[in-house]
Amino acid sequence: MKTNNHSEIGWHMILGAIVFLMLVPIVFALSNSFKTLQDAFNTIFEIIPSHPTLENYRHVFEKLPFVQITLNTFLIAASVTIFKTITSLFAAYSFVYFDYKGKQFFYFIMLSTMFIPFTVTMIPNYLMISKLGLRDCIWGVALPQFADVLGIFLLRQAMRGIPKALIEAARMEGIGSLKIMRDIILPLVRPSILTTGIIFFINSWNEYVWPVLILKSKENYTLSLALQMYISAEGGTEFTIAMAVSVITMIIPLALYLIFQRYIINTFAASGVKG
Amino acid sequence: MNNETKKQTILGYLFLIPSLAVFAVFMFYPLLYTFYLSFFEWNMVKPVKKFVGLNNYIAVFRDPNTFKILGNTLAYILVLLVLNFVLPYILSFILSAVIRHGKSFYKAVFFLPSVISLVVGSILYTWILNPISGPVAIILGKFGIQMPFWSKTDGWVIAVLCIITTWKTFGYNFINILAGVSGVSQEVIEAARLDQVPMWKIFLDIIVPMSSATGIYVFITTIVQGLQYVFTPIKVITQGGPNYASSNLIYASYHEAFTLYRTGTSSAISILTMLLFIVLLLLEFKFVEKGVYYEN
Repeated sequence: MKTNNHSEIGWHMILGAIVFLMLVPIVFALSNSFKTLQDAFNTIFEIIPSHPTLENYRHVFEKLPFVQITLNTFLIAASVTIFKTITSLFAAYSFVYFDYKGKQFFYFIMLSTMFIPFTVTMIPNYLMISKLGLRDCIWGVALPQFADVLGIFLLRQAMRGIPKALIEAARMEGIGSLKIMRDIILPLVRPSILTTGIIFFINSWNEYVWPVLILKSKENYTLSLALQMYISAEGGTEFTIAMAVSVITMIIPLALYLIFQRYIINTFAASGVKG
Repeated sequence: MNNETKKQTILGYLFLIPSLAVFAVFMFYPLLYTFYLSFFEWNMVKPVKKFVGLNNYIAVFRDPNTFKILGNTLAYILVLLVLNFVLPYILSFILSAVIRHGKSFYKAVFFLPSVISLVVGSILYTWILNPISGPVAIILGKFGIQMPFWSKTDGWVIAVLCIITTWKTFGYNFINILAGVSGVSQEVIEAARLDQVPMWKIFLDIIVPMSSATGIYVFITTIVQGLQYVFTPIKVITQGGPNYASSNLIYASYHEAFTLYRTGTSSAISILTMLLFIVLLLLEFKFVEKGVYYEN
């Protein structure tokens, strides 16, 4: 028993070191966003700035259409979240509650989208969005992302937990599928819908690869693109400003995560991802 | 009853249509079109595409950089597997079998960086790991160790870009593997422990085989998602440099298309990447999906 305790303490130290590595970048970002550039380099290990300044944040809002950029990011994330949730909900319902030929085939088709690298779709989608006149437009970023196999997995998994007898009984009563979905399924899988939605929102909020191809002008930028403007290989002269942009970029996802942390982790833990 | 079957079939398809339509227009049609483009020489602007047969593929394999990029891709896969698959596998076993207190704390903190943008991660690490003025360089300097100029050094550059990506993806993989590992019955583990079986043996002989469905899934997604995730730090920090030392198949394809405007070679590289992923998809279907299907 004693040796067991010792080894447990040892493992706690290793796990604690990982906790440190995970959190340190976030703490550094916060700390440096309130420092002047000079302080950032001179008082590198001073976590709480001795001469805190809001200059970096002020700069960001003065030099860039930053309210617009934040709004763009939000609008893309919100529309992607809403559409992905709706399309996933219908597909999941179809896979769980209807019997038909080709179900396995379609499931395989949807699964296979996970294995299509974005490089395979980027040129045609870029050309398509350009043709639609949606290049340099936030809707051009959102449109190709209105379905997601992850949502189908997670919601399918949640729906499987509902006894089929309940649905059969409702069908016997002659209640239509849309009504069953709205009145029986939706309330029961609400926690899963919530977490799936939050995950969609966060992923879209952080997205970089596709917006960087589509958005060209600053007033159409998202936060990730605005941040990229301040990166230069060796740290750079606008480093503390970049930290302020970083803090603004991560604050919404972090807040959502801290509020819904238990739901999010439980959803993944319960599904074991695979459905 | 026949009526019911008919109704179920119609509604079943109807409910799939919204997702299928999006996938068809923005995934499967582009896939075919990219395949088509891989046989033409084009730059996205010229009015005419010139058919060149297999020349784009031949050009890709004739290019000496391709082998460097393939080697890099393999290096990325190996490092990402160690950091994002092996390490979380071991730690999830420790968390479920050895640790008694603080489990949900560790889970919550490990997952936390997963919600942060990789662009943010890239910029933070560029500074933290700055080889001259960054905090890590200063601490190492106190011990007389000089930090390598990782963004300009072959080998190091891949390792560091993988570490940055791992910061974001570790927690997600950890939670997924933990779900599989926690599914292994505690009685089996307890029994083995009473028999004085060493922990590493319990891990290799009991935990890994009994959680292999999750294990294979995470193994595959680590490769498929990892190669795509690592694109962001490559693009933001090194642009594939120095001299292609940090480029992988994903970045190379992007570079060909949107820096050099060679849609043909870019498409050829994408299709080759796709083939690699298809092999993994078949593996996934063979091992993971089948098991799950018959269980239910």
